[in-house]
Amino acid sequence: MTKAFTVARWEYIEKVKSKAFLITLFLMPIIMISFGVIPSLLASRPDKDSKIIGIIDLNGEIVQPLSKYLDERYKLPDGRPNYVLRTIQLSPDSNVNSAKISADSITTGGEIEGYLVINKSIMVDTTVDYHSLNVGNFRVTERLSKTLRDVVVEKKLLTQGLDPVRIKELTRQIDLRTIKLSKSGKEEESGFEQAFFSSYVFMMMMLFLVMTSGQLLVRSMLEEKSNRVIEVLMSSCSATDLMAGKIIGLSGLGFTQLGFWALIGIAISLKFAITLVSFTSALLLLVYFVLGYLLYAAIFVAAGSPVSTEQEAQQITSYLTIVLVLPIVLSLPIMQDPNSLMVKVLSFIPLLTPTMMAMRIPIQVPSVFEILVSISILFLSTIGAMWIAGKIFRTAILITGKRPGLHELFRLLRTP
Amino acid sequence: MSMLSAIHLRKEYANVVAVDDVSLNVEGGEIFGLLGPNGAGKTTTIRMIMNIIAPDRGEVQFKGRAFDETARNSFGYLPEERGLYRKNRLLNTIVYFATLKGMTVAEAKRRAYDWLKRFDLLAYYDRKVEELSKGNQQKVQFIISIIHDPALVILDEPFSGLDPVNQILLKDILLELKQRGKALIFSTHMMEQAEKLCDKICLISKGKVVLEGGLSEVKQRFGTNTVQLEFDGDGSFLSKVRSVEHLILYENTAEFEIGSQSGPGEILREIAQRVNVKRFELREPSLQSIFLKMVGHEG
Repeated sequence: MTKAFTVARWEYIEKVKSKAFLITLFLMPIIMISFGVIPSLLASRPDKDSKIIGIIDLNGEIVQPLSKYLDERYKLPDGRPNYVLRTIQLSPDSNVNSAKISADSITTGGEIEGYLVINKSIMVDTTVDYHSLNVGNFRVTERLSKTLRDVVVEKKLLTQGLDPVRIKELTRQIDLRTIKLSKSGKEEESGFEQAFFSSYVFMMMMLFLVMTSGQLLVRSMLEEKSNRVIEVLMSSCSATDLMAGKIIGLSGLGFTQLGFWALIGIAISLKFAITLVSFTSALLLLVYFVLGYLLYAAIFVAAGSPVSTEQEAQQITSYLTIVLVLPIVLSLPIMQDPNSLMVKVLSFIPLLTPTMMAMRIPIQVPSVFEILVSISILFLSTIGAMWIAGKIFRTAILITGKRPGLHELFRLLRTP
Repeated sequence: MSMLSAIHLRKEYANVVAVDDVSLNVEGGEIFGLLGPNGAGKTTTIRMIMNIIAPDRGEVQFKGRAFDETARNSFGYLPEERGLYRKNRLLNTIVYFATLKGMTVAEAKRRAYDWLKRFDLLAYYDRKVEELSKGNQQKVQFIISIIHDPALVILDEPFSGLDPVNQILLKDILLELKQRGKALIFSTHMMEQAEKLCDKICLISKGKVVLEGGLSEVKQRFGTNTVQLEFDGDGSFLSKVRSVEHLILYENTAEFEIGSQSGPGEILREIAQRVNVKRFELREPSLQSIFLKMVGHEG
């Protein structure tokens, strides 16, 4: 086995030093963080200048209260009003269309942000038109519609004969003050979202690790095949050592990447007080994780060693990724009822065991019997898969050119 | 006791018998030529000897014992199809392969420097492999095959791609290894090279051994009625001369066998009338002509 470690060391050290690895290592968290943070920063940034909103008020009684409310509610940091209404005058013949045309032209000219068209029948209508170049600006549309609604409601109440002071009281705004709770122990463990979150993190980690190391495995085999180093390697150590070394070394690489990111992740989650699972659960998850990972690695080796072109490698890895993603797609319906019979049965299927258990453990730890049986099945399947992968690897790694068919692969399994 | 014995090796693929009952014996201090046309089964035989693939039948013994994993450390192998990790540094690459053969890193580095120096590559030790020329990469591969001082070295077409200066350097190193009691298996299509270097040969065709033995003994088996001819002029008429058989004709040299219808004297006279003869030598056939005779019609 010492040779397996020599191989592992080479695969690990040489790749860990590579520029591509270092770039991904540092770039990925930066990208992830910026994707998470930048949009919300941008969205919550206050406007720099007052926005001018045009208004064609056919009703005639809306401009004034609307303007008043907008002034009261939305101010720029320097105290100026955020929105200023500008009435677009109707021509003497009261033609709405000509007013719209002139409003359109000053909107496209950039003079105003957009304009509202208030119909005469606003008190019974359910909609008001807002014309703008930028209808995707949710903040503007949301604030305008909210304020307009308040204006209309107030007017309606007034016509019902209510006292203006009383109306003010009745329609008082309620703001939500958000307070973040810090964790306090037991309560969180039963919290659905947090349980979901830790299962989800676990599955994503597994998916990520299997995909990166799996791809690295296939690529490294392909490289050695195409540069013919494989023959020298195979004359220096047994196929088993070579395969084991590759799996160990490249997994180490995946774990390094994951570990580094996890540190960043933990730092962030501590800040936001996200609970992870208990220690025993974590240990249990780790067992499933490692076994499941090795099972997938064996599959990648078996499927990847007969490959001899880049395109085939692409195909193989994408097929395998689909198999991997499947449990995650199933995860939401399963999370609804993690103790159903179906989930229990699926937990015993080796390829699904790690993800199924990942979903169940944070919510409710399965019975000892279930855990022992599922681990045994997973363990035996992993050993079996490794054995088969070794058989295929030993011969298939030397094949260049035509990819062997299934029939030939079965033949390989029978050879001593 | 032989350094290496392959006993009745057989390997069958989906629809062909690649190697059929091949046996060979290689002693220490001997260069053994494994010859044969393309697709004869040489590479498969070598792979079985190196235990890269398992034979369907037969056995390989190293120093009289069945193969075990430790034997790998005593093997050195330069495959015919060349290649190295392209992105890795020269010294690191060499040290990796050496440690895979059981050497310590320190020892591997020391020897790597020695060999790089000898092959005039020391300046490149920290370069990436892909920055080297093809010929230089090939020298690196040769270093990898012998850095761990193996008892058995298998070289598949070691000279191809090397310039004459490096060919001589390589030849000298091979002879050194031989002198130090190593067993060398040398696989090639280049009969002239095999003829210069090999002590013993084994000719394989279609997976079977068709000829084997000591080089001079094999040649003698083919008699001494072969003519080596050197001349000035147009030699195309030679094929029509009576009793000239198995002719191999080059621009200014030719080799042929003398048939039963006329003697060497008659033939020489006839040739001398047509071209300016510079050398006319009666001797055993070259390995080239033996090769062609044994497998030439089959290709």
